[in-house]
Amino acid sequence: MNRILFTGLLVLICLGACAQTRKKQGGLINKPNQQNKFLEKQWWLGFKAGTNFSEAIPTKRYTVVTPTNYAQARNEKAYDSFSKTGGQATLEATFYYKGFSFSVQPTYRHSRFTYSNQFQWDNPENVDERLILEYDQEQRLDYADFPFIVKYDILRDKFRPYVQIGAFYSLLINANKSVVISGTDYASGGTNQFTNEPVIVGAKDLFDHYWGLMAGAGLEYNLGNVRLVLDASYWKGLSNISNVTNRYSSDRLAGIGDAQDDMKLNNIVISAGVLFPMRFLSSSFQTLDR
Amino acid sequence: MRYCVILILAGVLFSCSNESDPVADKASFTRIYDHDNFSASFYPLDVKQTADGGYLILGGRRITDSNFSGIYILKVDELGGYVSELEVDAAYVNPIGPLLEQNGNFYFFAMTAIGLQTQLFQLDASGAVSDPIPVGASYPAAAAPDGSNFILLSYDNLNKESVVSVVNASGSIVQSQGFSIGAGDAVEEPIINHFLRTGSQLPFQVGKTSSSQYFFNSFYNYTLSLAFTNLGDDEPEGVVQGQQDDGGISQVIQLDGGKFALSRFNFGDNYIIPGSTLNTTGISSSVDLGGNFFPELVANAPVKIIRLTVGTSKRVVYGSNTKSSQIGLFGYDEASGEFIGSRYLGFSNPFEIASLVPTQDGGLVICGTTYMAGRFPRICLFKLSAEEVVQSFQ
Repeated sequence: MNRILFTGLLVLICLGACAQTRKKQGGLINKPNQQNKFLEKQWWLGFKAGTNFSEAIPTKRYTVVTPTNYAQARNEKAYDSFSKTGGQATLEATFYYKGFSFSVQPTYRHSRFTYSNQFQWDNPENVDERLILEYDQEQRLDYADFPFIVKYDILRDKFRPYVQIGAFYSLLINANKSVVISGTDYASGGTNQFTNEPVIVGAKDLFDHYWGLMAGAGLEYNLGNVRLVLDASYWKGLSNISNVTNRYSSDRLAGIGDAQDDMKLNNIVISAGVLFPMRFLSSSFQTLDR
Repeated sequence: MRYCVILILAGVLFSCSNESDPVADKASFTRIYDHDNFSASFYPLDVKQTADGGYLILGGRRITDSNFSGIYILKVDELGGYVSELEVDAAYVNPIGPLLEQNGNFYFFAMTAIGLQTQLFQLDASGAVSDPIPVGASYPAAAAPDGSNFILLSYDNLNKESVVSVVNASGSIVQSQGFSIGAGDAVEEPIINHFLRTGSQLPFQVGKTSSSQYFFNSFYNYTLSLAFTNLGDDEPEGVVQGQQDDGGISQVIQLDGGKFALSRFNFGDNYIIPGSTLNTTGISSSVDLGGNFFPELVANAPVKIIRLTVGTSKRVVYGSNTKSSQIGLFGYDEASGEFIGSRYLGFSNPFEIASLVPTQDGGLVICGTTYMAGRFPRICLFKLSAEEVVQSFQ
């Protein structure tokens, strides 16, 4: 953890130093000199919230149920991509300098993703002896995200579209899994379809912190002294979110037949919010370029 | 500056990596070995770790050619991954555990489907089986290692005797002694039901004490009894009597200093006795042994007991089946008999214990039967890491 914080701090210092050495950017609207100079730099504080969609990409698959007379692929988990909505709330602190913004945005994020797999037993000598079981599993993960983002304003008017890139580190806060087992039993003298009550299991031990990179775009709108913001970004996880030592530690999940795959988590994050300036030009609090 | 940023990003990547850990993958896992045939049925008898770190599982399987169970051998790797299986010819049935290790090979007893004569099978570490060696005794019930020989407990249905034999690795009976179970079909009925697996699985056991006295847990004189013998007389030297087939000893192992760790059952109730001195030269009753009452265990529960060194502590670990359909492990201090900790395995589908074995890495492997979808008997394997064993039993 200390290594992570240390390297994160170094990144901040380096990027800050890079920013200080950049040449003056063009494209500013022609404004009176004093205001123009003032507007080159600004601190913003704000809040935003929104929704996110998750995609888990398995990098190494694990299983409890091990076939002895059929292919493992038949039971393989099928992951759904960006099918479940989550939510997030973000505090944003941004330093703006000549078109570039350097932003830290600590975020509480709740993400969900699902996968399912199927098992089948039959009897080649008796077609009535057949059972199909389907396991639908939903993961609900709570993270504290710590992204460092660099934004570039494409236009600097009342509407300010921007692009952004950054890196993030996500600390796991909590996790749980819910498993719904449903099936069709053809051996009961008819077609018996059933769905069991979901099994909900605390799964914090099965997941871990991770890091990644993000990129996105957004639009800011100056409204009075505040700035409204709408942005969308793609967060690409670059490390395994599974805890490799606790893969089978939940007897409840292992008993059901679930083992946690190694996987990376990607997110589409959409947020809207409001930013407040921290520096003012005059007593009339005219701070924005309007 | 550019290199500085690259170095920093590399540092971030390194510090945050959480990639697969092969050591952790081997240290702890759960596996259920599934067969997709609706009518297939498998159950394990014993598991042993092989020199390659993998595991060899001896089990039984449902066959249509006989009322007895067929022989099933499963080889898995150190991660629990499937390697191979062998369904031994249905001419041979009723395998019994444990797998007996000798010179890197493994042995087990079974019997012919016709004639019911005991056979000795040899397995190599890959799970390949050699031609069986006829031993001669009928209805093998239990076995144990004895130096370069094996001790075999069998049931002689013609003379109605529990028979203890010393068998060498060539399959020859070196020494043998029969003990009458008593006259009448009523005594024999639970024994035959045990072999057909249509009735209670009786806790047949055989072994040898540190004082070179043989013992067997079987029927003697109308009662399931733990009997001690020198194999020189048809009367045991000592007998711990049960209650016909309703009570008796469910498992026993010898500890240091002539003490025994054992468990007993009595009309459905189960008792764990982590340390007791048994009367090996006289007649006593299992009821008088007392013990810790375990109402959470199923009626007349099968029990497995092993000695385990956890750190510097000597432990006795019991494994059994709970009424909540889990496998329960209960640890006791070997010297004091004090309860140390427990661990429960399995959920949702029923799980039943078959074998409990320490592993090379200080962990434990537990082999059992689970019922997939609540109905299909399949072999399961739990591997607990050394850390998990310490957490539970230190």
